[in-house]
Amino acid sequence: MTEFLISANKPLRRRHASETRFKWMGRIAIAASLGFLVVMLVSILTLGIGAFSRTEIALAVDLGDGDASSKKIVRNALFTSFPEVTSRAERRQLLRLPSADASRELDRQLAENPDLAGQVATLWFTASDDIDQLIKGAIDTDKPQDQRRISDQELAWVTQLQDLGQIRKVFNTGFFTSGDSREPELAGILSALMGSILSLTVCFVLSFPLGIMAAIYLEEFAKKGRWSDFIEVNINNLAAVPSIVFGLLGLSIFLGYFGMPRSSPLVGGLVLALMTLPTIIIAGRSALRGVPPSIREAALGMGATQVQTTLHHVLPLALPGMLTGAIVGMARALGETAPLLMIGMVAFIVDIPTKITDAATSLPVQIFLWADSPERAFLEKTSAAIIVLITLLVAMNLVAIILRKKFERRF
Amino acid sequence: MSKPPIITARDVNVFYGQKQALNGITLDIPRNKVTSLIGPSGCGKTTFLRSINRMNDLVDICRVTGEIKIEGKDIYDKDVDVVELRAHVGMVFQKPNPFPKSIYDNVIYGPKIHGQIKSKADAQEIVEQSLRRAGLWDEVKDRLHESGTGLSGGQQQRLCIARAIAVSPAVILMDEPASALDPIATAVIEELIDELRKKYTIIIVTHSMQQAARVSQRTAFFHMGDLVESGATKELFTSPQDERTQNYISGRIG
Repeated sequence: MTEFLISANKPLRRRHASETRFKWMGRIAIAASLGFLVVMLVSILTLGIGAFSRTEIALAVDLGDGDASSKKIVRNALFTSFPEVTSRAERRQLLRLPSADASRELDRQLAENPDLAGQVATLWFTASDDIDQLIKGAIDTDKPQDQRRISDQELAWVTQLQDLGQIRKVFNTGFFTSGDSREPELAGILSALMGSILSLTVCFVLSFPLGIMAAIYLEEFAKKGRWSDFIEVNINNLAAVPSIVFGLLGLSIFLGYFGMPRSSPLVGGLVLALMTLPTIIIAGRSALRGVPPSIREAALGMGATQVQTTLHHVLPLALPGMLTGAIVGMARALGETAPLLMIGMVAFIVDIPTKITDAATSLPVQIFLWADSPERAFLEKTSAAIIVLITLLVAMNLVAIILRKKFERRF
Repeated sequence: MSKPPIITARDVNVFYGQKQALNGITLDIPRNKVTSLIGPSGCGKTTFLRSINRMNDLVDICRVTGEIKIEGKDIYDKDVDVVELRAHVGMVFQKPNPFPKSIYDNVIYGPKIHGQIKSKADAQEIVEQSLRRAGLWDEVKDRLHESGTGLSGGQQQRLCIARAIAVSPAVILMDEPASALDPIATAVIEELIDELRKKYTIIIVTHSMQQAARVSQRTAFFHMGDLVESGATKELFTSPQDERTQNYISGRIG
C-alpha cells in the first residue's frame, strides 16, 4: 500500500513532462513577441527622439537699414560674425549654416517684435539640417572630410559658435505646427496629421452608421437562407481583400467616374470606409450574436416589436462590442498606406489641409515619403512620425478599452 | 362548466421544416384556472405553449395550421397583430430573463411600449401593484432602481412574472418557470401561481408531475407530438385513461 497515490509510473510522468514543456513553449512565444515589440519601440524611440529638438544659431543682425532685404540682413550678419571669411566659395559655405528659411524667420520675428527695427539685435535662427545633425552627434567627425556632409571649415565655424554660446538646442515646435518641407529642419507633421484626421472622420461618418445598420439588419431582421449566406460569405471575403484593391476601386470610381478632387481626404475617407465597412459589419454581428437570445425573447414576449426589441434591449448590450470593432477598424484605416497611394494622397503637401476637398496626405504616407528622402535628417523625422502614429493608435485602442469597460453591462 | 373556455385549440399542427412537431391538437383552456402541460422531453408541450402567443413566428422554418381561438378570435388570422396578441398573452420563460435594467424599468417596460401609462403616478401605481401581485414588493420596494439582474434566481423569476402581469394580460404562459430554482424558491412561485389564477388564466409547462399536481386544476399530457389525454388534474393522476399516461405518471417512461 505504500505505493498508493505516490506515482512512479512512467506514462504519468511523461504526461506531466509534456505539460511542462507545453507551458514553457507558450512562455517562450510570449517572451519572443514581447522582445520584438521592445526592440522595435526602443529603436524607433532612439532614432526619432532627435526630431523633437532643433538646433538654433544666434546671429547679431543689424536692423538699422530699413530698406535692406531680410536675406541681405542675414547674409551681412553672417559675414560680420566671421570677418576672416572672404573667398566666394567659403562665403557660400558660410551661408549654409542657418536654414534656407532664415530670412523668413527674421521677418516673422520682426513682425512679432516691431521694436527691434533700427537696432542691432541678437536673434536665434534655425540651423541647417547638416549642422543640426552634427550637434545631435549623428555625423561622425573622425571620418575624413570627403566622406561626411560637413567640411572641416564648417566644423571649425560651429566649434567657434559653440564656444561663444551661439548654438542651442530647443524643443522643435515646428514639427507639430508646420507642413512638409524640402528642408528637413523645417519639415513638420501637421499637414499629414490633419490629412489623416480628415480622412478618418469621413471614414467613420460613413462606415460606422452603415456598418451598424447592415449588421443589425443581417443579424436581427434578415431571414436566414441562401441569400443571407451569400451576403455573409461576400462580406467575409471583402474583409480579406488587399487594401490596394480598394485604392484601385477608388481611383476608377471616385476619381475617374465621379470626378472627385484628387489627393483629397474626401476620397481617401471614402476608400478607407469601403475597406473598414466589412470589419465593422463583422464585429457588429458578432457583438449582436453575443447578446443572449433570452433578452430578445423577453422583449418580444412582452409584445415589443422587432425594432423596439433591437433598439431598447439588444443594441445597448451590443454597442460596446460594436464600438470596439469600429475603433479597431479605424485604427487599421489610420495605418493604411497602399490605397491612399492609388488615389494620389502621396503628394508633397506644405499647406495644412482644412477641408475634406483640400489636397492632403496622411501619416503613414508621410512616413513613406520621408523614408524615401535622401537627407540624413529625414531619418529621425521618419521615426518621429512613426512615434506620432503609434501614439495615436495606442490612444485609439485605449479609448476602445475605456468605452468597453464603461458601457459593459452584465446579464 | 359554467363559463366558456377562454382558449380553444382545434386541430393544431406545427411543423419545423419537414418535421411535424404537433399532430392535430384539440384542447380547451378554461378561464381563471391553471392548466398544466406535461410530458416527456420533446413531446411538443413547449411548442404548443409558444404557439398560443405566436412566439413560434420567430422561427423562420416554423409553420402552424389549424386554429387557436382566444375569446373566439383566431390568433392566426391575417388581421391579428402579434404585438397586440402578446399584450394579452404574457409569457414567463424557463430561465429568469429580466432586462439588464432597473427593477422599476423592467416592470414598466411593457405598459410603456403599449401606451398604457398616462402619468408618472400611473406608472408608480402599476409598478407597485404588479410587484405586489408577484409577491416581490416587500423585498424590493427600497431598491426599485437597482438592477434587476442583481436579484436572486427566485426573485428574478418573480420579477419576470411582475413584468408579465404589468400589462394586464388575460392569459399568462409559463414555460417551466421553476426549473432553474431551488425548492424553496419553487414553493414561493407555486404559491404565487395559485394566487394569480384568481385574476388570470395560466398555462404552465412543467417537467415535474408533483408540480402539476400541486398547482394545476387541469392537466394535459403530451407524448410525441400528440395530445394523449387531458382532464381535471386529480382524475388524470388518479385514474388515467390511456396506457401512455399511466406509464408516464407512474415513472415508467419519460
